[in-house]
Amino acid sequence: MGLTAISRRGFLTALGGWAAAPAFSGSTLAASLLEKTAGDDARLFASAYKLADGSFGIGLLDDYGQVLARITLPGRGHGIAVSPDRRRFVAFARRPGTFALLVRPFEDREPLVLVAEPGRHFYGHGCYSADGRLLYAVENDFEAVRGVVGVYDVSGELVRRIGEFPTHGIGPHDIALSADGTMLVIANGGIETHPDRAREKLNLETMQPSVVFVDAESGDLVVRHQLDGSLHQLSLRHMALDQKGRAWVGGQYEGAASDAPPLVAVFTQDDVPKLTEIPAHLAGKLENYIGSVAANSTGDVIATSAPRGGHTLFWNAVSGDFLGAQSIPDGCGVAPADQGSFLISDGNGGVSYVLEPGASSEVLSRPPGFAWDNHLVAIS
Amino acid sequence: MNHLALGLTVLLIGVSAADAADFKQPLENVITGYIRPATAAFAESAADLPDAVSAVCAESDDARIEAFKDVFSDAVRDFSRIQFLRFGPLLDNDRLSRLSFRPDPRGRAQRQIRKLYASKDTSVLSAQSLAQKSVAVQSLTALELIAFDKDTDVVLGRSGENTDYTCGYALAIAGNVAQIAEATATGWANPDGYSRQLLSAGPENARYRTATEAIEVVYNALATGVTIAKDQDLIPALGKSEDKAKPRRFPFSRSGNSVVYLTGELDGIHDALVSMDLKPLMSPADQWTLDTLGFEFKNAGNYLAALETPLRKSFANTGNYNRVTALSITLSSIQELMVDGVAGALGLAGGFNALDGD
Repeated sequence: MGLTAISRRGFLTALGGWAAAPAFSGSTLAASLLEKTAGDDARLFASAYKLADGSFGIGLLDDYGQVLARITLPGRGHGIAVSPDRRRFVAFARRPGTFALLVRPFEDREPLVLVAEPGRHFYGHGCYSADGRLLYAVENDFEAVRGVVGVYDVSGELVRRIGEFPTHGIGPHDIALSADGTMLVIANGGIETHPDRAREKLNLETMQPSVVFVDAESGDLVVRHQLDGSLHQLSLRHMALDQKGRAWVGGQYEGAASDAPPLVAVFTQDDVPKLTEIPAHLAGKLENYIGSVAANSTGDVIATSAPRGGHTLFWNAVSGDFLGAQSIPDGCGVAPADQGSFLISDGNGGVSYVLEPGASSEVLSRPPGFAWDNHLVAIS
Repeated sequence: MNHLALGLTVLLIGVSAADAADFKQPLENVITGYIRPATAAFAESAADLPDAVSAVCAESDDARIEAFKDVFSDAVRDFSRIQFLRFGPLLDNDRLSRLSFRPDPRGRAQRQIRKLYASKDTSVLSAQSLAQKSVAVQSLTALELIAFDKDTDVVLGRSGENTDYTCGYALAIAGNVAQIAEATATGWANPDGYSRQLLSAGPENARYRTATEAIEVVYNALATGVTIAKDQDLIPALGKSEDKAKPRRFPFSRSGNSVVYLTGELDGIHDALVSMDLKPLMSPADQWTLDTLGFEFKNAGNYLAALETPLRKSFANTGNYNRVTALSITLSSIQELMVDGVAGALGLAGGFNALDGD
């Protein structure tokens, strides 16, 4: 494969003349806050958003949920991959988008733009290699109907796509790097889509979602797990690794709405997948859709959000036990905060703090006009 | 088979008709019947703030203190009736954040204001330079923090070492709030402004391709207003139990205006909803949802009317805790009726993150 330098010009061409370049701007609140927090170890978070005026971007938030800065995007964003040194991140377009931005929030530099190869689009997620030099992005090779991982060299001044390997499934969505940096874990959602047919699902009768473990260096398949055949319509999509390196995966069920299948499963390289049990009082209320999965900072509690049902569920990562649920309307983005707590962002602009899975959450902020998108990530 | 095909055609016509034309009418209704009068009313009461501040600062006798309290209370009431309109002019130039810095559970505004006092920062002494400061120190919530003490008494104008600084800062906030309120009302009154964008959905409209999209923005803002009332304005104050209640966490409790604010926000949402006149767009089988909503809003109003005020002084042993708990349960059923009932019956899309596949 040729080495393609990706420039802003290429980006703008790909977007068909989108007028404004990605712009990084601080908020009215930010000036004072950045001064105030300079020097201390304030935590930062990032999430894609939509504004009430219809525009899209990425917001940088502090641990009070205040927007410190924002970066405009030409379309709706989705997931964000954070570099191991926590100095950079890549924000991906929502599928079937073709752009991604590499942002260096602590440096006075414009974002770098990545554009998907011809014949590929991004699926909205990616992750960095352990040394931070490579970016892995899940992509759709839509003519061949197969998922691929695009490998990008992000170590230099320009981003170069240096290769790709298959995900061994259709519709890959989330991707994570194992703690030792050797293995990529990829959730193949199993749903076939084509950019010419918008977000239409083309293979619901035959879909075969899977979670694969792939050698990060060679791209070779190590193991491919599927759930029982009766759950082949449970699209495996979002994922977080716990302290033991197990992949907690949340699904979206494409079968009958009246079914109440399990929606969260735990995968390891060597064992058969384990299904968690959603408590009966919540089972019918989640509309069979998990929007985000995140581990707390110590990796012993997992949060799974169900935005359609307006509930976020918490799990003991060690025992697999259900710990409690929070009711947050349209709450979807979940990120680890201090002391094992979580921040949860919602489509009504709210950022809530959850210290204990069973205790009440607290709304920290609700910047007017913001609708937070599916994912919230901790930057630092 | 023929019957089935015919039924399907009727259904399709019904859906497309509602989509194309009918939603424009409720949008017009809510703009002329609620939003314009409500934003104008707030501009009017906010315009009285600077004089009330000046008067009590010139001489803080009982009459002027009472007059200031009344003017502040009216401004809070009229603000509560528009703060849920989280679209269009109220969002331009960060207006809503600059009118009220809430929620603020960790007291960030208080801390920033203490810093201003410590350095006697003069940039907050004119409305113009205040407008460039952190939003946390610009708003009605900031004015409440400096003009009232924790026992709901007015301290503005009371002699002490900071009297002049507080009066200068309060006057700047009052002027800033009055300007923002005026700009918001003007923005809504302008027939060529945002109102036109809301009312002219179509392929030429960069923001709203369909009237359905436009009404979803308005309707979802009302539903979100109820969520805010419950999750932000009630639940934090209720705490885990009656002995752990935190009545200071009610909005505008420091000035004794919590019930004024809560009543205004719920009445406002209900009035806006009623002004839309959605019933003709709903099938007869669904129209009960609007009637039930009206009933539940009335229940909510009754709970509020029965509260002893001011809440921060009267929460223990008055039955207030149980009334507010009942109110929060009522708000849950209002949420459900608005989202599953009315929005469902009208075919309006709700949550931003509810779309699947991501």
